[in-house]
Amino acid sequence: MSTQASASGSVNEARGRRSAQDVEDSKTHFRVCRFIIETGVKLGMRSVPMATACVLYHRFFQSASLQVYEPYLVAMSAIYLAGKVEEQHLRTRDIINVCHRYFHPESEPMELDGKFWELRDSIVQCELLVLRQLNFQVSFEHPHKYVLHYLLSVRSLLNRHAWSRTPIAETALAVLKDSYHGSVCVRHKPQHLALTSLYLALQTYGVQLPRGELEWWQVVCADITKAQIETIMSELLQLYDMEAKCT
Amino acid sequence: MERDLLRQSVSYHGENLMLLLKCEQSENPDFKRVAADLSKTLNQSVRIVSEAHAVMPPLEQFMEVCFEERRELFYRDVERGDVVIGRINSVRDFGLFITLLCTAGGLERDIEDLEIKALCPLRCVPSTGNHDDPLSYYQIGDLLRAGVKGIDRYHEKLTLSLYSSSLPPHLDKVKLGVISKEDLPLHYTYVNVTADSSQTYEKLLESSLGLSNPLNVDYLLGKLGVSDTQTPSLMRGLQSKHFKEDDFATAIRKKQSVSWALKCVKVGVGHFKSRRYVEAMNEYNKALEIDTNNVEALVARGALYATKGSLMKAIDDFELALENCPTHRNAKKYLCQTLVERGGQLEEEEKLVTAEGLYKRAIVLDNTFQGAAEALEKLQLRIQKSLELKEQEAAKEQEKTKTVETSAEKLRKILKEEKRMKKKRKRSTSSSTSSDTSSTSSDDSSSTSRKKSKKRKHKRRRSSHGSKKHKRRASSCSDKTVDDDIEWFPAPANTSASYIDQKQSISKLISEGEQSWEKSRCEDGRGRLDDAIDRSLENLKHGAQSEASRPGRPDVNGEVTDQHRTQSISECARNRRDSSSTQSEYSQKSDRYSKEFSLQGRKRSESERGGNEKMDKGERNSHDQDDGRKSSGGSLKKDIPSNLLDIFSQIAEFEKEKKLQK
Repeated sequence: MSTQASASGSVNEARGRRSAQDVEDSKTHFRVCRFIIETGVKLGMRSVPMATACVLYHRFFQSASLQVYEPYLVAMSAIYLAGKVEEQHLRTRDIINVCHRYFHPESEPMELDGKFWELRDSIVQCELLVLRQLNFQVSFEHPHKYVLHYLLSVRSLLNRHAWSRTPIAETALAVLKDSYHGSVCVRHKPQHLALTSLYLALQTYGVQLPRGELEWWQVVCADITKAQIETIMSELLQLYDMEAKCT
Repeated sequence: MERDLLRQSVSYHGENLMLLLKCEQSENPDFKRVAADLSKTLNQSVRIVSEAHAVMPPLEQFMEVCFEERRELFYRDVERGDVVIGRINSVRDFGLFITLLCTAGGLERDIEDLEIKALCPLRCVPSTGNHDDPLSYYQIGDLLRAGVKGIDRYHEKLTLSLYSSSLPPHLDKVKLGVISKEDLPLHYTYVNVTADSSQTYEKLLESSLGLSNPLNVDYLLGKLGVSDTQTPSLMRGLQSKHFKEDDFATAIRKKQSVSWALKCVKVGVGHFKSRRYVEAMNEYNKALEIDTNNVEALVARGALYATKGSLMKAIDDFELALENCPTHRNAKKYLCQTLVERGGQLEEEEKLVTAEGLYKRAIVLDNTFQGAAEALEKLQLRIQKSLELKEQEAAKEQEKTKTVETSAEKLRKILKEEKRMKKKRKRSTSSSTSSDTSSTSSDDSSSTSRKKSKKRKHKRRRSSHGSKKHKRRASSCSDKTVDDDIEWFPAPANTSASYIDQKQSISKLISEGEQSWEKSRCEDGRGRLDDAIDRSLENLKHGAQSEASRPGRPDVNGEVTDQHRTQSISECARNRRDSSSTQSEYSQKSDRYSKEFSLQGRKRSESERGGNEKMDKGERNSHDQDDGRKSSGGSLKKDIPSNLLDIFSQIAEFEKEKKLQK
């Protein structure tokens, strides 16, 4: 019952209809994703494994219910699993340490006692649960490599001084990273996401690219329309609004 | 070897196969023929296979930006120092005209159809060795890589140069000049490859191998200058300033390890106190595995090692602990104790110097540690005692070796002694004690000079500079060279004992000397013998006096001493220094030989020994030497073979005859 509710919640979101529960849920998801990204930074995770962790989390809760599963535990397991999948192995001890400190700021590190080992066991078991929930399909294609290639191509179009003046690469990557706070990352193709983040970055600084028969983004991604870009952009910007509400 | 098959195989497998082939097949003549071709193939294929990322043709090509715009953009964006590739379309006497094909370096543009022409003036063409006219090296249609030297944006003129100085430093390695088709940049070749198929950007990207490279993200992030672990974010809460160093995983882990290790150490100490040493060691090792260089664990383990007796390991552990935490009180204390204990062990093993070093270190560490200071003092005394013992033994050895010396030397020695005694008796106005002291000191000096003490500092202390003087003057016993004999005993012309044969004469001298010796040590031995001795001593005196008159000439002293001794050069240098100093001090003081002699003896004894204790030792030593001397004198008598005794008797008879003649 509750599973259905949450599943329909995400469907409703896509259709624009939102119930109170959905709003609450998306806030929780936002907070948990924020937790994942922060933990990732403290663990020294690279961008791609961090993205994998967020995607694992979102995909899990597309079909599971927040009432049944503890989101933070799922998040920790997602981090652990993502490290394995993307070849940046993290140790459970580090994950537990960082998470413990997140919840109890300025506290002493946990003693390596029974409680610690129980926590570790629960992470490992949850990992198996996540795998099963996702039918063991845990490798994803991320927009990062696309956005980087697009950046290279766009760079060659621009005057090098203009390029060095404006932090286009940093902004595009920042937008991409922030997009993982919400489920937008799982609802669109990676190429589109990449394109949109670059588009947003260029628009922010008002950079003019030469115009030919085709716009640059038409060349880069043949099947995208302006409207789609706009939609994704608005979703991305909503996430920034949500930050104010949730934290 | 089939050329084509090999080429195919190598281009597939790459560099590794090529290297292996070169190693294994270097002797194979077939391979040598194809090797050159293969390396070329390899270069080409390697470029494609090892792509870090997908290399795409310029975007503007896909965008179909119009001609004018592209041209405009090109002239806007090209900078000095860019590398361009073009084809020579005419060679004039003032330079080369080039039509640009593509860019290779800073800019990535599609310019082939723009028909941009550039000039490479003559002065920018380097001369190529054997050609008189540098331009004759170039022909129409050659592909040329050049650096952009000057741009006139308004008039749309480009000047190129073939000198690498026109390029920025990071492009130094780019080879300018004529190139071949293989050297054309990838994005251009791709253009040509795909131009007909008119693939979209997307399709091209997807099909590119570089896109599937899992590391392309890292590579490209690096290329674009963005850090991967500190990726920027636009969210307020994720700004880097909000992250505290203490929250990071490594910091927390470290703290956790330390406290875990401490727990293990506590358990271990519990075991240690209940004398369960094996368990204690296990706990300490566990603690050190968890947290290497944990100070507490190291100190505890060191204490355990010390208790069990492995002192060296204990010392290592304590030192490591002190490195990490120099103010750890227990570590210092235990280290001092262990050092002292180890020193004690070493003392028993007779490794005194090492022990001394350890004690000193212990004192340096903690100068309030009584045990170390006491132990050091005891040890130093012991060292000195042992040195004295060694010296005595060495002296005895020397004495023994002396007895094995040639009879000539023995004779000489006896004669010298006698002469000295006589001289003292004749000249010394001082009491017999002074002569005694001088004799004893001379004995001392001679014996010390004879000795070769191993400890250098003692050599310095006992600085045999005085003894050397004695040697020089008295030509005493330690020289073993025949040359010295000759030098010191030039055959005196007016002696009745005409020394036809030196050896014989000396043996005669010995016999005479023996006889006089046997009567009494201080007895006047008159006769020719004494004259001879006198003369020899005169020479020595002259020599000594001349040296005395030259106070500041350490070289002479050194030379003379070098001749007489078989010491090490360093010792000589030291002695030289010492001797020169004393000599300068005293040459002015006394004129008289004996005074100098005695004074030297006394002063030397004082100067040699810095402190009271040393003085005592010196006196003790001199007494010892006295004894040694006497014993050696006695042994001398015993060791002279019987045939020599005959010779002695002959000399005695001869002398008597002379006397009678007179």
